[in-house]
Amino acid sequence: MKDNKIIRVENLKKYYKGGTIKALDNISINVDEGEVVVIIGPSGSGKSTLLRSLNLLEIPTEGNIFVDDVLITDPKTDINKHRQKMGMVFQHFNLFPNMNILKNLTIAPTRLLGKSNDEATEYAMELLERVGLADRATAFPSQLSGGQKQRIAIVRALCMNPKIMLFDEPTSALDPEMVGEVLDVMKELAAQGMSMVVVTHEMGFAREVADKVVFMDAGQLIEQGTPEQIFEHPQSERLKTFLDKVI
Amino acid sequence: MMWFSNFISDFKFVFLESERYKLIIEGLFVTLEITLFAVLIGIALGTVVASIRSTYDKNIESLKKRKNLGYYVLCVCNVICKIYLTVIRGTPTVVQLLIAYFIVFATSNNDVQIAVFAFGINSGAYVAEIIRAGIMAVPEGQFEAGRSLGFNYLQTMFHIIIPQMVKNVLPALCNEFIVLIKETSIAGYIGITDLTKAGDLIRGRTFSAFLPLFGVAVIYLLLVLVLTYLVGKLERRLRANER
Repeated sequence: MKDNKIIRVENLKKYYKGGTIKALDNISINVDEGEVVVIIGPSGSGKSTLLRSLNLLEIPTEGNIFVDDVLITDPKTDINKHRQKMGMVFQHFNLFPNMNILKNLTIAPTRLLGKSNDEATEYAMELLERVGLADRATAFPSQLSGGQKQRIAIVRALCMNPKIMLFDEPTSALDPEMVGEVLDVMKELAAQGMSMVVVTHEMGFAREVADKVVFMDAGQLIEQGTPEQIFEHPQSERLKTFLDKVI
Repeated sequence: MMWFSNFISDFKFVFLESERYKLIIEGLFVTLEITLFAVLIGIALGTVVASIRSTYDKNIESLKKRKNLGYYVLCVCNVICKIYLTVIRGTPTVVQLLIAYFIVFATSNNDVQIAVFAFGINSGAYVAEIIRAGIMAVPEGQFEAGRSLGFNYLQTMFHIIIPQMVKNVLPALCNEFIVLIKETSIAGYIGITDLTKAGDLIRGRTFSAFLPLFGVAVIYLLLVLVLTYLVGKLERRLRANER
């Protein structure tokens, strides 16, 4: 059965210490192709764990994850091939400090996609141009601001031509005045039809860009729906109190 | 100036008469030879052990799920490495040297080779921990970034982690080299005439302790000072590249 669901998560569970701590408690969600899904919730609710499970940086205890109709939670699946299709952006950027920006961007495409150095560089420069950082190509990560680093991190993921982008609190480690420049890049990406899963505390971004908002608490999926449903007509008490606090 | 001319004549008597300085020079070369080859063995062995230990630490969670052959091989290797580290770091180097000489290689006549081997095995344990610490000092996020781009475990290690690890460990590795130079002074225990033993031989022959022993100490000190200087230079060079 071929449908337009690029990610299907079925009954995902992640337990620690033999089940006494349930980081993910029976989560099922879908991501359609080209859809932007934003996961919100209080700290420790399992948002990041869920996101990191999607490319198996976190190994779930139980449950199935299908990406592009391939069951990636099956140990026989070559997860490295799938990770190439899923770009990931981290809270702390995780740029490679010993390489300049261009090298950061080209190392994966040249080693994994078989691109020549020139090809990879050309594409990287094109993307850098788009985020307005082409002049920093030979700089080292430590010479950049947080916002610049995060834009570079997004470009690094994009250099692999992913079908899906995962964002793990991409603006949480940034100075407030730099949040905007990163969100703008993400908005542009969403407008181009990239499938995105975003864990964030930026409610404005969720409201404006998301096609679907997922609210999690204590490892459980409490509510999901359109931004309007979630923000204007929350059903559960838990979501109401959460929204009262953050907005 | 009385003491100075005394010093000169003592010096001539201790070191120059019957070409005793040659003993010192030969001893120095033996010390350097043992140290150099022991360091090479140590680095080779340490790298292997550190690779196994950190591969185990980083992958055991995901391998537990499958329990294939690789899992069991890794577990066995890890246990062997742990025993090696515990035994070598938990017993005196002199004892290890004597065991190598009198038991393990009782039939061998090449004392220097035995010493190289013993010091190499000994140094490997320390080098392994230095390298492992260097790998662990690279933030986990670097590893995750590599994996999330699609690199497999080994590619992530070689392209992302090890280049950063080398910077972390080079100074510590050079310090291990410096420590080892001094540690080889116990080679006399198995009848090798290294620098220390040479000084001691001269002490015995001249019935004069002061000059031979201080002479030897000064040579060690100079070696260490030169190496420390070079390590410092290297460290600054590495920092400069970091920007």
